[in-house]
Amino acid sequence: MNKKTQRQIFDYLEDNGVTDFLGVPDSTMKYFIDQGLKKKKILIATREEEAIGIATGMYLAKGLPLVFMQNAGFANSLSTIASLVQLYQIPIIFFIGWRGFHKNDAPEHIKVGKIQPELLKALGLRAKTISEENWKKCCDWALLNAKKSIPCALIIRREFVD
Amino acid sequence: MIRKEAIGLIAKRLGNSPIVSANGFISRDLFELCDKPSNFYMIGSMGLSSSIGLGIALKNPRKKVYIFDGDGNILMNLGSLTTIGTKKPKNLFHIVFDNGVHESTGGQPSNSMDIQIDAIAKASNYTVFRTSAAKKLQPILDKTKKIKGPILLLIKVEKSDNVSARVIWEPRIIKTRFMKSLNSSLKC
Repeated sequence: MNKKTQRQIFDYLEDNGVTDFLGVPDSTMKYFIDQGLKKKKILIATREEEAIGIATGMYLAKGLPLVFMQNAGFANSLSTIASLVQLYQIPIIFFIGWRGFHKNDAPEHIKVGKIQPELLKALGLRAKTISEENWKKCCDWALLNAKKSIPCALIIRREFVD
Repeated sequence: MIRKEAIGLIAKRLGNSPIVSANGFISRDLFELCDKPSNFYMIGSMGLSSSIGLGIALKNPRKKVYIFDGDGNILMNLGSLTTIGTKKPKNLFHIVFDNGVHESTGGQPSNSMDIQIDAIAKASNYTVFRTSAAKKLQPILDKTKKIKGPILLLIKVEKSDNVSARVIWEPRIIKTRFMKSLNSSLKC
């Protein structure tokens, strides 16, 4: 996804109610994160599960947090999403970079990338894959879920190999 | 002093201040001794009480937030000490009840006896206190009133066979009553 769109997505989510942006960086969404860093709106955690914990606290204190991560980190977080986010119904918006979407991606991303849609399905976490065309609609969908106390995920594909 | 005694001595002095308590026996002790809406009991997601406490503390800078953590719990999320030390919330009070074992799972060693959790916290910008004496708890709590966080109090406790009752509240109830309590008064 191009630079400009990633920055627009950050601004759009911020303007429409997301109060806190935190997580573990992923190159797939580096301009999204950079936009937040420029505005001093980003908290970088040491691990994805830590970020989910902090976001939970922020929600309890009336925030509407977004947690960004790579899909490798999403796979790390399955148990925390099930036993904290879903068990307590914490409406976090997950923003997940999808490595391994491209079949020529680096070898460590192939397996987890391949099972990414199945992991989301098995967990029962609502998700939409965003594109240059549909991102605004997907963001509105995620914000609506959050307002209804339902956690959900926006997936951003890694469409290039470097 | 066993963990339950230490938890009771501290919890009864905290009024309606928010407490995030770690999963396992720590939450069960707190529930049995001093159940209040301002307690956020964790059921599962081991290691994350300090992270949840950080999130609350950052959003409520004028309210003191207490974390009741265990040695096994904090060792599972040591990165949390560095994130807390980076954000430096003045209102975060992190208490680690360290019995050296994973008591909730049968008393297996946690390895905390061979390292210094308080020294790691100190290197991560916390102000730290350590004690194993029940009579020192009140003087330490008094002293910390004048000190800015993040504060870590490491309490060395004895192992015990005591098992407290399970938290009876469903997770969604724990959440809603905690949020109501947290957001009803901005100061405490």
